[in-house]
Amino acid sequence: MTQSATDTQWPRWEVFKQDAPNRPYQAVGSVHAGDPDHALLTARNVFVRRPSAVSLWTVRESDILTATPEEIAARAEVLETPGEAGTYHVGLKRTHKRSMTFVDLVGTVEASGPGDALRQAREQYPDALTWLVFPKSAVVRTDDDPGTVESWFAPAKDKTYKQQQFYGVIGKHVGELKREGRMPQRVNEEPHVGEQKVYDHPHDKAPKVQR
Amino acid sequence: MMEPITTLTPTQTEALIRKLTALADDEIILAHRDGEWTGHAPILEEDIALANIAQDELGHATLYLDLRRALDGCDADRLAFFRGADEYTNVRLVELPKGDWAFTMLRQFLFDAYEALWLSAAQKSNYVPLAEIAAKAVREEKFHLQHTALWVERLALGTEESRRRMQNALNELWPHVAQLFAPLPGEADLVAVGILPELEKVRASWESFVLPHLTEKCDLLLPMVPAQAQEGREVHTEHLAPLLAEMQSVARQHANAEVW
Repeated sequence: MTQSATDTQWPRWEVFKQDAPNRPYQAVGSVHAGDPDHALLTARNVFVRRPSAVSLWTVRESDILTATPEEIAARAEVLETPGEAGTYHVGLKRTHKRSMTFVDLVGTVEASGPGDALRQAREQYPDALTWLVFPKSAVVRTDDDPGTVESWFAPAKDKTYKQQQFYGVIGKHVGELKREGRMPQRVNEEPHVGEQKVYDHPHDKAPKVQR
Repeated sequence: MMEPITTLTPTQTEALIRKLTALADDEIILAHRDGEWTGHAPILEEDIALANIAQDELGHATLYLDLRRALDGCDADRLAFFRGADEYTNVRLVELPKGDWAFTMLRQFLFDAYEALWLSAAQKSNYVPLAEIAAKAVREEKFHLQHTALWVERLALGTEESRRRMQNALNELWPHVAQLFAPLPGEADLVAVGILPELEKVRASWESFVLPHLTEKCDLLLPMVPAQAQEGREVHTEHLAPLLAEMQSVARQHANAEVW
C-alpha cells in the first residue's frame, strides 16, 4: 500500500489465528505495529483475550496480494504481479456471512511470484469470493514451545466469564423475549418510530416522498 | 517440596492474611493506574492490551483475596472499596501517577518481572491453595513481561525523545523498587516453613533478569539509590488518597448495592 508522507501510522499486519491443532489458520483482523514482535504481542492481546487459540501468525499487509473475481476480470494484470519465487500460502473467502473470521488458509502453492500464486489459487478454487496469497517467508509466528503456548494461549481457555450466561440478567432473558415473539428478527432491522420508518443512516437513501 | 501444610497456627494465619492483602493491594492499585489509560493509549491496539493487563492484575487480586476469605471470611469488595489510604498496604511504586507511556511501560515491566518471578517461586509453596493460584497467574504474568520488556526496549533505543523519557522514568521509579522485596512482619516465619518464597532469592533472580535488560539491552543508566526500602507499606505518597477517592466513589455512594 502506498503511504503519504504525512501518514504516521505504523504498518498494518493481518492476523491469522489457529483455534486448535489441525484446524486451518483463519484471518481474524489486523493490528498496527512497529515491528514483527510487536505485531504478534498486540495480536495476542486483541484477538486471543477470550477465544481459544494455539498459534498466531502475523503478515505485513504489504506482503499480501488479494483479488476478487471481479477485480481479476477488470484488471487481469494482477495475475502478473511480480515478486519472489517460492512457497505461497493460499487463503479463501468463501462466504458473505459476517463472522469473526474472514479468510481460511487452505494450503500452499509453489509459485514464481505473487501473481502466479494468485493464478494457481484461482484455478484450484474457482468458486472463492476472494483469493489471498502471501509468501511463506513473510509469516511471523509464535513459538510452538510449551512455555509460549501456556502463557499466550492457555489463560484464555479458563476465562469462563466470556459466556453470556455468566452474567446475571436484569429484566427478562433474551430467550424469554424470543419465545414471546418480542425480539426483532434481525439485529440490523431498520429503525421505526411507530409506523414511520426512520432513515437516519448516511448510507440509507431516504425516499423523496415518505408520507 | 516439604509436606503440604493443611493447618496454620493463629500467628501464621495472621501473617498470611497480611501478606495476601499486600499482594492484592499492589494489584488493585496498579490495575487502576493502568486503567487510567483506557481511551488514551498511544494506539488502539495498546489501549486494548493495557486494559487486558489491568484486568489480569485485578484477576490476580481476586485470587489472593479468595485465599484470604478462606482464612477469615473477608469480603473482597469491602476491602477494595471501603478501606482508606491509611489501611491500604500496596507498595508506593504502584500508586505513583500514571505519567507518560514510558513511565507506565517501565513501571509495569519492573512489576511484571517481580510478579512473574515471585509467582514462579510461589508455585512451590507447600500451602497448596497458594501454589495453585500461583501456577494459574504466572502464565499471564510471563506474557505481560514480554509485552512490557518489548516496550521498554523500543522506547529506550527509539528516538532521542523516547530515550530521554525512558531514562527519566527509570530515575523516578528506581528508588521505589526496593520496597517490593521488603518482607512484612511475620513473613520470615512463613518462609521458614515453606509457605512463602524468600524475597531475597526472588530479588536475586529479578536483578539477573531486569538489570541486563535495562543496562545492556536498553543502554539505560541505573540511578544510584539506597538498596533498602525506607518505610513500610503503611506509609503512602500523597497520590494514593485521590486515587482511592476516584476508584471508590461509586461504591461509597451506593454502599448498599448488592454487587459491584
